[in-house]
Amino acid sequence: MARPAADARLRRLLALVPWVVARDGPTLEEVCARFGLGSDELVADLDLVFLCGVHPFTPDSLIEVVIADGRVWIRYADYLERPLRLTPEEGLALVAAGAAALAVPGADPQGPLATGLAKLAAVLGVEPGDAVDVELGPAPEGVVEALRGAVAARRQIEIDYYAYGRDERSRRVVDPHTVFAAEGQWYLQAYCHLAENDRRFRIDRIRGLEVLDRPVARVPAESTAPATSVFEPRPGDPRVVLDLEAGARWVAEQYPLEALEELGGGRFRVTLAVSERAWLERLLLRLGPAVTAARGADGVTEGAAARVLARYRRRLASAGT
Amino acid sequence: MVSRLERLLNLTAALLTATRPLSRGELHERVPGYPPDDAKGSFRRAFERDKEALRDMGIPVVVEEIAGVDPPVDGYRIPRDQYALRDPGLEPDELAAIHLAAAAVQLEGLRGTEALWKLGGAPAVTADDQTLAAIPTIPALAPLFAAVGERRPVTFGYRGQVRTVDPHRLSFARGHWYLDGYDHDRQALRQFRLDRLEGELDVGPPASFERPLPGEGGAPRPWEMGEEAPVEARVHVDADLAGWAVDHLGPEALAATHGDGSVEVTLRVTNREAFRSFVIGFLDHAEILAPEELREDLVGWLTALAG
Repeated sequence: MARPAADARLRRLLALVPWVVARDGPTLEEVCARFGLGSDELVADLDLVFLCGVHPFTPDSLIEVVIADGRVWIRYADYLERPLRLTPEEGLALVAAGAAALAVPGADPQGPLATGLAKLAAVLGVEPGDAVDVELGPAPEGVVEALRGAVAARRQIEIDYYAYGRDERSRRVVDPHTVFAAEGQWYLQAYCHLAENDRRFRIDRIRGLEVLDRPVARVPAESTAPATSVFEPRPGDPRVVLDLEAGARWVAEQYPLEALEELGGGRFRVTLAVSERAWLERLLLRLGPAVTAARGADGVTEGAAARVLARYRRRLASAGT
Repeated sequence: MVSRLERLLNLTAALLTATRPLSRGELHERVPGYPPDDAKGSFRRAFERDKEALRDMGIPVVVEEIAGVDPPVDGYRIPRDQYALRDPGLEPDELAAIHLAAAAVQLEGLRGTEALWKLGGAPAVTADDQTLAAIPTIPALAPLFAAVGERRPVTFGYRGQVRTVDPHRLSFARGHWYLDGYDHDRQALRQFRLDRLEGELDVGPPASFERPLPGEGGAPRPWEMGEEAPVEARVHVDADLAGWAVDHLGPEALAATHGDGSVEVTLRVTNREAFRSFVIGFLDHAEILAPEELREDLVGWLTALAG
């Protein structure tokens, strides 16, 4: 399509021309690198700028473009001496990305990113660090930095990890691949030598961490870029079918469902893939009487409720004696 | 043959250099490449399309009545002060740091590339191309960001009611975007979860309010998002999950550390249901110590479920 292409080229030109105007003959190479275009594209765009100007299009009212010795000069374009202001989307993209990068553990709160963002915020009419605040997720002190260091150095690590879904703690050696934040949590994607498979670990559940003096044994087959959704059910996971009252609609918003069926009057039926028992226990205890029927979860609610209650009764008993 | 890009650039130049609003007829004369201004209206359609294309990229094409003409005629121009980006005066290392941040953080549906061009393009930096954080966005986020910057009140639907709010600040916490602001109807500071906004967002006039200085703390916790009488809860957490609990709640919540590594934490609760959900997350690794009211609530809840 010619139309979007023309719009995209105009956006770039309206940024590129002011940059060149403000300088004394930058090299074509540098202009190409900064604005992400090939030299043919740049020359084509500059040829076009050369034809532009204002009425009556006499030579003195045209923009002058001079290309010589691999350098470029643009003159008589003083009405284009400033780039176009940022749109709200663009301002938000930079300010939010900057705020997120500053929220990465180990970021320098007084470094060039912080000072650059403060200058940008001032131009956008917002106070630095005020208009947009980003929290990426909780993490034990120093762990994100140590994990990123191990990823960069390709070193194995040993972690003390609390597996939430199984409600148990274990030590395991892993080959760290990626560290990323998504859905309000920090994650480590790694090959786990205990599970003998790729695993995604919540960094807030890593209690101890030792970087080993051994290189990683396995390199990931493909890059594991973070997604905004991190839960991936496995085909073999058991399925649980719950009939829920209208007030439990948050379950449908919060968890990926295998199926959703309306039962009338706001009541509904969901099918969930459940790989870990403790995860299901928490869900059922939280839902309580909002669950009117459960298939594939025989005795789970009763067992979990009794186990937690036993703890409260111990204290009551000891207080009574 | 004049290309569309050339025509758009010349149209921008004509509107930027205009010292008074120019009528469509004047623009037809001054900008080469338009079809004839005849009864079929093809010039008019082409001009309207170009004007929208410029506006879509954020160019402020304003419409004003041309003075001293009867009947009135619309004129067009681009005010330079509204067009131009004020120079933020970024040092090369600052621009490079912003560039790296934009490359490392993936904001769903928002691209920083064109914004970086406007700031002077990508300086030569070595970015490891690994995405460090992925942040979801919603359509209302950019207009709300503009409203925060321009201090415009906003009106939206929330939990079935229409709310008018002076937007003070956007925050992303625990996977969700929130808006903090002054709620006109409640006459109090309130926080709104942005994925729960309903209907259209209406934006009011600029410079309508003063922004307060940023307060302490980020987004409230679920058990703080209620209007029940506040109560301070004390929870014992076993050693296995003690570190996680303190990281999650912040050091100010830590009330006691025991010899076995377990801890006691205190929480201010204004939403008892959300508090119960939070404590259930620990299964049998935590216990509500006080107040008795919350302890009994959980014991009663579990007793009904234990069958």
